[in-house]
Amino acid sequence: MSQPPPKRQKRAEYRKQVAEAVGDESAPVGKVKLPKKKFYRQRAHANPFSDHQLNYPLSPAHMDWASHFPAFVNPDPAQTNLIGTRKLLKDVEVVDIGCGFGGLLVGLAGLLPETLMVGMEIRVAVLDYLTTRIQALRMQQQHQQKTQSQSQSQPPSSTSTPAPAPTTPAADDAETPSDAPAPPDPNTSTALVPGGYQNISAIRSNTMKFFPNFFNKHQLSKIFICFPDPHFKARKHKARIISETLNAEYAYALRPGGLLYTITDVEEYHHWILRHFRDETAVEGGENEGPTVKELFERVSEEELEKDECVQVMREATEEGKKVTRNNGNKYVAVFRRKQDPEWA
Amino acid sequence: MAANFQHPFQCFRFVPRPNTNLLIGSAGSKLYSYSAETGERLAVWPQEVASTNANAVDADSGSEQGPPGKKRKVSASETQTNEKPAWSNIPILTTTTNGEYIVALTAEDKCVRVFQLQEDGSFTQLSERAMPKRPSAITLTSDDTTILCGDKFGDVYSLPLIPSDKLPVITKALRSATLSHPAATNLTVHTKGNRRALEQQLRLASQGKKDEKAPGPAFEHTILLGHVSLLTDMAYVSLPVDANKKRSYILTADRDEHIRVSRGPPHAHVIENYCLGHTAFISQLCVPHWAPEYLVSGGGDNYLLVWKWAEGRILQKVSLVDESSQATEVAVHGIWATSLGDLRVILVALHGSSRLQCFTLEADGTLKAQSPIQLSGNALALTPIEKDNTILVSVDTIRQPDTTQEWRASASSPSTLIEAFHIKSTTDTLEWEPATASVTKKINSTGTDEVPATTEEKQRKELNDSLYNLGHLRKRKGEDE
Repeated sequence: MSQPPPKRQKRAEYRKQVAEAVGDESAPVGKVKLPKKKFYRQRAHANPFSDHQLNYPLSPAHMDWASHFPAFVNPDPAQTNLIGTRKLLKDVEVVDIGCGFGGLLVGLAGLLPETLMVGMEIRVAVLDYLTTRIQALRMQQQHQQKTQSQSQSQPPSSTSTPAPAPTTPAADDAETPSDAPAPPDPNTSTALVPGGYQNISAIRSNTMKFFPNFFNKHQLSKIFICFPDPHFKARKHKARIISETLNAEYAYALRPGGLLYTITDVEEYHHWILRHFRDETAVEGGENEGPTVKELFERVSEEELEKDECVQVMREATEEGKKVTRNNGNKYVAVFRRKQDPEWA
Repeated sequence: MAANFQHPFQCFRFVPRPNTNLLIGSAGSKLYSYSAETGERLAVWPQEVASTNANAVDADSGSEQGPPGKKRKVSASETQTNEKPAWSNIPILTTTTNGEYIVALTAEDKCVRVFQLQEDGSFTQLSERAMPKRPSAITLTSDDTTILCGDKFGDVYSLPLIPSDKLPVITKALRSATLSHPAATNLTVHTKGNRRALEQQLRLASQGKKDEKAPGPAFEHTILLGHVSLLTDMAYVSLPVDANKKRSYILTADRDEHIRVSRGPPHAHVIENYCLGHTAFISQLCVPHWAPEYLVSGGGDNYLLVWKWAEGRILQKVSLVDESSQATEVAVHGIWATSLGDLRVILVALHGSSRLQCFTLEADGTLKAQSPIQLSGNALALTPIEKDNTILVSVDTIRQPDTTQEWRASASSPSTLIEAFHIKSTTDTLEWEPATASVTKKINSTGTDEVPATTEEKQRKELNDSLYNLGHLRKRKGEDE
């Protein structure tokens, strides 16, 4: 009876194997493969109201960011936070709430190579996948960088951004790296990506409860909420990630001028989002109920969105976005800018 | 035959009034008022006699609109005449600063009730409003016009103390926007099972069947803010900015270790900062009215934290247990602040503890431990009478001291419901002496409602849980995906 089902066992073994391979810095580059999603499937929903076994910092000053972004650790070892881990050279500025398998982060990594970005996901298996994926991507990039710098005397300046972790041994990239079977995903191709994926990471968390434990007031410049769980039943609407009360927390973490990006394939949810932020086009008559959280946001115009590369990534690079395209679904985008706090009454 | 027990006072308050000062308390399902000079009982609510109470004005606002899916509806006549009211206890009791109005929460029917306290001490119920979720914290704004009510779903609503006549606009309930057709479409639902469910829903929608979804409460209420957690306590504070300007704030605490500092209405959606430092649930927030820049917070941790809350800065971590007994889990039941003479006193009661811990708040905002007060039973509620340098403490007469479950073998007669302590001549250190006031003697001998000594185990447990329920807030380790 106690024997785990073979499928689960296979998954567990696979995950362990991949995690070890990715953790092994000395592995030859051909061995660094990206994890396969099919071994990390998990139910699409998690109850945000239950007590999961979560690790979260006591406060933002207690967060160990150094283990997430080793390439951005402050070189001065005396610079530590309240739990004694090293500080970073800069703060995390972009958050993907409910990052899933991480398509958005991987897509943005090269676009904003100097910006630290973190994805937050409540499902364990999905987070495992993404952590392994980022590790593998970083490894591939480090090998790439070395082979390039060997073939060219001077690496192109755009790719030489943060120095890769110095621990990589230089000895064993004799094997042919570039003709390793190229995965179909363009994001995982062997091309050099600015920043080498050192600027993205993922955390398991319940953002509905613990967002303020990770981020200080006005720390963030961008928040992404992509294809959130629609919670179709009215009874479940309280579990939606967009609500008038949660929006106050996003406003707290976003700096004035910062942007909150949303995309969904559910039209009703799109209108829900618009209702819960500001939508100038749909001003209802006789709305004089006093200020609400909506006064902290304004909608960003379509023209501006067309120029924003992040919107493109959000539409095309996220796993959910690809799925919607496959199924010929619609995508509804709304982006809101954080305004200044109102004057004290 | 063993004497019966008396319901202890779950809440107890000194109410200063222009003419006669009063004491009010809640014990069991009833409210009591006493003269603060003599201790003579003045009134009980609901009245024991089965006569219809003519005082109940506007008693039905809201009660007809019960929350969705709940079976109990309390009509005004029932609450006044039935022998058994629809609630078993009154866990929250607060008053306006002038002592004219009382706001009380009756537990099971989730009703926020506003009373006018008459000159003769009797209670006139002005309104009863059934909240959608069980309220867990109620406070009043400093101008005494608005009730702030936080509930176990983490939301804080504001309600006018005296409801105006105009009917509220119900449309503003964004969250409960009802749909005439399903939000899902063929474009968003792909699996076979879900497609079938969607077809079913569409069929129902076309037949014009609507979900029986009750709208929000039918009285004026505005949602101010929300935690995705159980809200445990709340404080409304005004800080002076300069000579003639004040800024008001709402401090809210939850089961997930957060203390949130928001602006006061109408800008409660602007979060000023968080006070993060607890590692277990928070149950009590105490902002002394004579030093509003400080906050003392406590809960499931074995320490208190003293904050400069506007900066989110911890000034001090104060241990609540002896070094020797670190192992036991403690929970803070109550924190009270009072200024007696020149001393600024903070009193702390642990859940199910007969020892009242005393501290003085020093000029630098730190707490200095003073000798504790030993009571004859667990401390439940406390009210200072600052003009007399006295505190009155409500004591659990049913349970053994220092337990939350074990009942005493027999009731003492008369029961010690209230103990009074007097501050010893104001020296530097804080010392107390029992005050042998005739007031407490009178209250104790009058008693409250009786609890039979023969109460059965199951009912005993229910009674225990109505007074000692903080244990449910602690997170259990283990369950996860």
